[in-house]
Amino acid sequence: MSCNWLFPLLLLSATALPAAEAPYYVAYSAQMEEPGNLEVAFDQVAGSNFLSSIMELECGVKTWWTTEFYLDGQATGGEGAIFTGWRIENRFRPWMGEHRINPVLYVEFEDINGADKSLKEVVGHDVADDQLVPNAEARRDHQRELETKLILSSNVRGWDISTNLIAEKNLAAEPWEFGYAFGASRPLAFAVTPGPCTFCRENFSVGAEVFGGLGTWRQFGLTGTSHYVGPILAWQLPSGAQLMVSPAFGLNGNSHGLLVRFTVSYEMEQIARLFRRPS
Amino acid sequence: MRMALLLWALLATGNPYEGKPDAVRAGAKLYARHCAQCHGLDAEGHGHAPSLRSSTVQAASAEELFHTVTNGRMSRGMPSWAQLPAERRWQIITYLRSLK
Repeated sequence: MSCNWLFPLLLLSATALPAAEAPYYVAYSAQMEEPGNLEVAFDQVAGSNFLSSIMELECGVKTWWTTEFYLDGQATGGEGAIFTGWRIENRFRPWMGEHRINPVLYVEFEDINGADKSLKEVVGHDVADDQLVPNAEARRDHQRELETKLILSSNVRGWDISTNLIAEKNLAAEPWEFGYAFGASRPLAFAVTPGPCTFCRENFSVGAEVFGGLGTWRQFGLTGTSHYVGPILAWQLPSGAQLMVSPAFGLNGNSHGLLVRFTVSYEMEQIARLFRRPS
Repeated sequence: MRMALLLWALLATGNPYEGKPDAVRAGAKLYARHCAQCHGLDAEGHGHAPSLRSSTVQAASAEELFHTVTNGRMSRGMPSWAQLPAERRWQIITYLRSLK
């Protein structure tokens, strides 16, 4: 079933919403969503002939537990737009307080089809040519996958430095696939100015991330894998919305030459209170 | 080791913004952005989030408040704010101290 109607609707809903914090596109830091808050984000990834779109709903359940739900879709030149699946993830921070390295455990279940081009992670032998398969054929490949990550993150003198080790398993008896993501970012100004401002340095963050595949359990290594590197610029608007843009450049012949990623997000504070009985 | 020395140096010298009116105003802006959703715009507290005007909080040293903001009290529902640069955490502390 074609879902051409879905993406304008998602786009309208997302631009009407202001957005929140997202220092990286692929990598995760140890930062959890504040309990009771709901962040709505709309991600887009533009490749040579496709535009992938993701709607994200991220909720802080506890200080140590964040859960997130995704709806994925894509539009490919000459093939129209389709819905490609959904994902649900949970992140757990096992240690209370701040440490030199803060670990977070990540578990995600995804039910997507082979036409998905969200590139939220690269694992195994994922390569750009996988995405040349026509949608009509690729969507018949149904994938139910379990994805786990070990997130290791540090705050060093205003910098966030994060490492993600990824292990993903297609539940249909395929081997574990591995990948990685590294990210580093910092605000342009550490201290804030006293007055309100929109374009001052304190509202901008810069960084970079590197991510790619590491093969499978049977063929671990860099052979036949794809890798990317890209700078990131994020702008926090006074309204609470956040915009992020990041070009990602392919590092070898298996990668897309260029991906342009764009995110708009908005954080709704203490939305959980709306569902509580007055005391 | 280097980080520990830096932290010690920071703590030993206390709040670098102590008594600076601009830092109070900057801290108020950060407080509204990050803290008011739980502690209230007036800092009087809300639900499980305590009042920051209470005698207990106001009697705490700047270093103790900095430690709490940095580490949070995750078992009680307060997140860590270590992702904010130290300068911003000190600006928030400066604002909190001005509520006396």
